Amino acid sequence: MILPPPSAPEAAEKWEVQLRKGSLDLAILCALWEGPLYGLEILRNLESGSDLVVVEGTVYPLLTRLRTLGLVDAEWVESDSGHPRKYYRLTDAGRQRALSMARIWTRFAASMTSLLAPLSHNPTPHEVAGGKS
Amino acid sequence: MTYTAASQKAIDDYLATLRRQLRDLMDEDVRDIVEEIHAHILDKTSGDPSPEKIASALGALGSPQQLALRYHTDELLERAQLSRSPGLLLRSIVRGASLGLGGLTVFMLSGVGYCLGGVIFVMGLLKAFLPKRAGLNIDYSPGHSLSAGFGAGSGPHAGHDPIGLWLIPICLLLGGGILFLTFRFSLWTLRFFTRPRRGPEPVALED
Repeated sequence: MILPPPSAPEAAEKWEVQLRKGSLDLAILCALWEGPLYGLEILRNLESGSDLVVVEGTVYPLLTRLRTLGLVDAEWVESDSGHPRKYYRLTDAGRQRALSMARIWTRFAASMTSLLAPLSHNPTPHEVAGGKS
Repeated sequence: MTYTAASQKAIDDYLATLRRQLRDLMDEDVRDIVEEIHAHILDKTSGDPSPEKIASALGALGSPQQLALRYHTDELLERAQLSRSPGLLLRSIVRGASLGLGGLTVFMLSGVGYCLGGVIFVMGLLKAFLPKRAGLNIDYSPGHSLSAGFGAGSGPHAGHDPIGLWLIPICLLLGGGILFLTFRFSLWTLRFFTRPRRGPEPVALED
């Protein structure tokens, strides 16, 4: 059975979701760059420092995965709130990974910006055709 | 800060379901995960422990089933890919088997591959250490019927052992090759399970 193709906005939305998912590792590593944070602080950091509004249930498994990969360390710390909190900090490997990912990201973003330049300056062929009629 | 009985029950139920769903993982990991999620809920509701706020905090986490599934697929598969451990690989394939018919097929194929490769490899070892009692035995019976036996037993006294000690390298190479190919196949299929899936699982990020 051939499914009907998704509408343009729907397809773009799905693409954006995948793009954000793929960026979340780097975003978390960047959030931890300045120092240790616990889960909710990481979430708030992502929300305030970007428009990456994250489903909270996504971040904790991802933090566990980053820990398994040796990119972050975690330790439980007693807090004034009455319950302990699990703080995450970047390991040396995590810092190296964040730097190399940031380099790739910057290069990639520059290439894409260059490719996208015509879209912001010129009307689409469709618009041109519409204007002539 | 105090929670109403209903709010406390909602939190306890969520955590109990999460703990049940994570039972495949190591106890220490499960404790750690549940404590962290509990701390997250307490932090989220610290200023306002109303039932509405609790419901909102739990809803933002997603259902305990979805949350547990993310832990399973993310952590278990990542570990398996890192460690290259056949045991973890097998657990991952079992996890994949529970995700659909394709996963079940992969699980069965992997099981057959590991068993077949293992048996042949062990046969080579047996031939090396018990050459008189293990081997490929071809028995030419008086009625010209031909039967072939392959395994460890009383030995080829009633027939011939045409391959002899050549069985050792053949079995070790063949069995090892099958085990290796099955291992590579398992690793390759892990990529399939780590791909984003369509279906009831909600998108991980949203506006």
